Amino acid sequence: MDTKTASPFGGRIIKLATRQKAFIAIIAMLVVMIFFDTKFYTVYNLLDLLKSASINEIFAFGVTLTIICGGCDLSIGGTMGLAGIVTVMLIDHMPIPFAIVCGLGLGAFIGFINGFFVVHQKTEPFIITLGMGMLLKGISQQLTDAHPISSKNPNFMMIGNGKAGVVPNLVIIMIIVMLIMYYILRYTQFGRNCYAIGGDYDVAVYSGINAVRIKWAAYVICGITAALGGILLSARLNSGSSNYGDTTALMVNCGVVVGGTSFAGGIGGIFQSAIGILVFSVLENCLNMLGIDAYIQQVFKGVVIVSIIWLDCFGRKRKREVV
Amino acid sequence: MGLQINHRSVIKALFKDYLILVAIIALVFVTIIFEPKFLSSANLTNIMRQFGPLSMVSLGMTFVIIGGFIDLSVAGIMSLVAVITVSLIEPAGQFPALIAGLCIGAAAGYLNSAVILTCGALTSAEALFITFGMSTVYGALALIFSKGATQHMSWITSGTWVYDAIGQGSVGFLSVSFVVFLLCLFILYIFQQKTYLGRAVFLTGCNKTAAELSGVHVKRSIRLIYTISGIMTAAGSIMLFSRVTTASPVIGKNYETNAILAVVVGGTTLRGGEGSVLRTVLGVMLVTLLSNCMNMLGVSTFMQTVLKGAILIIAIWLDNRKES
Repeated sequence: MDTKTASPFGGRIIKLATRQKAFIAIIAMLVVMIFFDTKFYTVYNLLDLLKSASINEIFAFGVTLTIICGGCDLSIGGTMGLAGIVTVMLIDHMPIPFAIVCGLGLGAFIGFINGFFVVHQKTEPFIITLGMGMLLKGISQQLTDAHPISSKNPNFMMIGNGKAGVVPNLVIIMIIVMLIMYYILRYTQFGRNCYAIGGDYDVAVYSGINAVRIKWAAYVICGITAALGGILLSARLNSGSSNYGDTTALMVNCGVVVGGTSFAGGIGGIFQSAIGILVFSVLENCLNMLGIDAYIQQVFKGVVIVSIIWLDCFGRKRKREVV
Repeated sequence: MGLQINHRSVIKALFKDYLILVAIIALVFVTIIFEPKFLSSANLTNIMRQFGPLSMVSLGMTFVIIGGFIDLSVAGIMSLVAVITVSLIEPAGQFPALIAGLCIGAAAGYLNSAVILTCGALTSAEALFITFGMSTVYGALALIFSKGATQHMSWITSGTWVYDAIGQGSVGFLSVSFVVFLLCLFILYIFQQKTYLGRAVFLTGCNKTAAELSGVHVKRSIRLIYTISGIMTAAGSIMLFSRVTTASPVIGKNYETNAILAVVVGGTTLRGGEGSVLRTVLGVMLVTLLSNCMNMLGVSTFMQTVLKGAILIIAIWLDNRKES
């Protein structure tokens, strides 16, 4: 019905809006903020916004890879908590770089196990990684007795809180990870194979792609980025806790989908995911600046999630009906 | 020969449920050996009461999963229903509050299905994120409504005997919540096995296009499964706050994952089109008995979380291996 009433011009706007909803949402929020006399447009605030987004962004880059391959990873909440705790525990016994490498290794190992179940044994990724997240949270609680633990080494804290010039370290790390992941996904054979596997698994296998190995590698990379994010969060707060990441997993997977990476697999990209996660950070920052109640912020967040995914599905439905 | 094949398929079918039954029996057996107090009437009543809320939510969730969708909004609906129902008891009376709670659950479930249907989401992944967003909204509404504070039943001066009965009462040796559960199970089992609408849900879960082409009203099925899920969630919420006698605005936290866990461990597949409410009962039994037995044996709650995750992974894995 809508197709008949919409003019060609209106149709084009709808098309644009349905393609880059997350981006348009960010632009809209930025425009709205011009009319309010707040400290939103200050270098300090904008950098702080990026800093608070950066850890979730790092999670999202790994998750994007698994979603493009046609899976998903809900265990990142557990992985980040456990990796942070293990790193904080090890820092008192060994130099910081070794401790961080151990944390990342743990993330890779968790990703490997996820990959074994999801890719090698072909189980449902959603529920297996949910169970894995639960298991890891239990291990984290057991290790720390559910209390936050902190490290005594001030250098560790500097990783998360230091600045290079005016730019916080976290933002720099996030941008480096983003560029690496972008390069991997866009310019390597591995990355292109990921898209092929997500697009159609069987076709990819028949074209001679070692689909199991590639998808498995995607899960390992996702585990590593989750661990990296968890370690950075621990460094920022100078503590490791089993409570970190309770809602992160769903939030990040949701952010990736909001950015335009299709949950069906084969469509998407790193920059899209970066924008998808940024929507939530910008929204939170704007609402905080406007002094809106925390509970009402939750409503806004939910409405933004629902409306962006709604528009996404609606666009696909229209496409189906045209064909 | 035909008899033999039947015989074999019956054994095969039994074996499919057998694993989880074996797990439940083994668990109970080990617990009884180490801690005979497990069989005390106080503990058995306790188990029945713990069983109530999760079983209700999971029964509703079963149909959503059979229909090929998923419902993460359960946590938000539970919280919303709890805070509103408790605050309505005094001004509106007990029964109107109860009915209002169930209506809110139904309305929230219907709203989920309306959002899903208007945008034409066909896969459980799309429904997953939409219901997650809806859950955030419902949870936030609960927080706004209660201003973030926990409401205590003991503050209510106008009498709460209905809720006391749901939470603490018993009929013979069964707790009231268990009787309500049996009643709901009976109704939903009849719905699933004997009605046209119930079979339509299975067809919807198997293949939506094929169902649509063969004249099944797919949209009605989707509306129905989400509304049932909403009502059952509301019932679970009322049972839960009646038992703990406080209504916190985050009372439903983790119920969505636990309900999905119970349904899936019971043997209803996430692919849709397969499963039964009876299987879900087994799943809920395992989850509830697990925490009760582990508490009895003195295993820490942290290790219980680990075990729950491990059991979920192993159950899915074994289920998957059997099929391939």
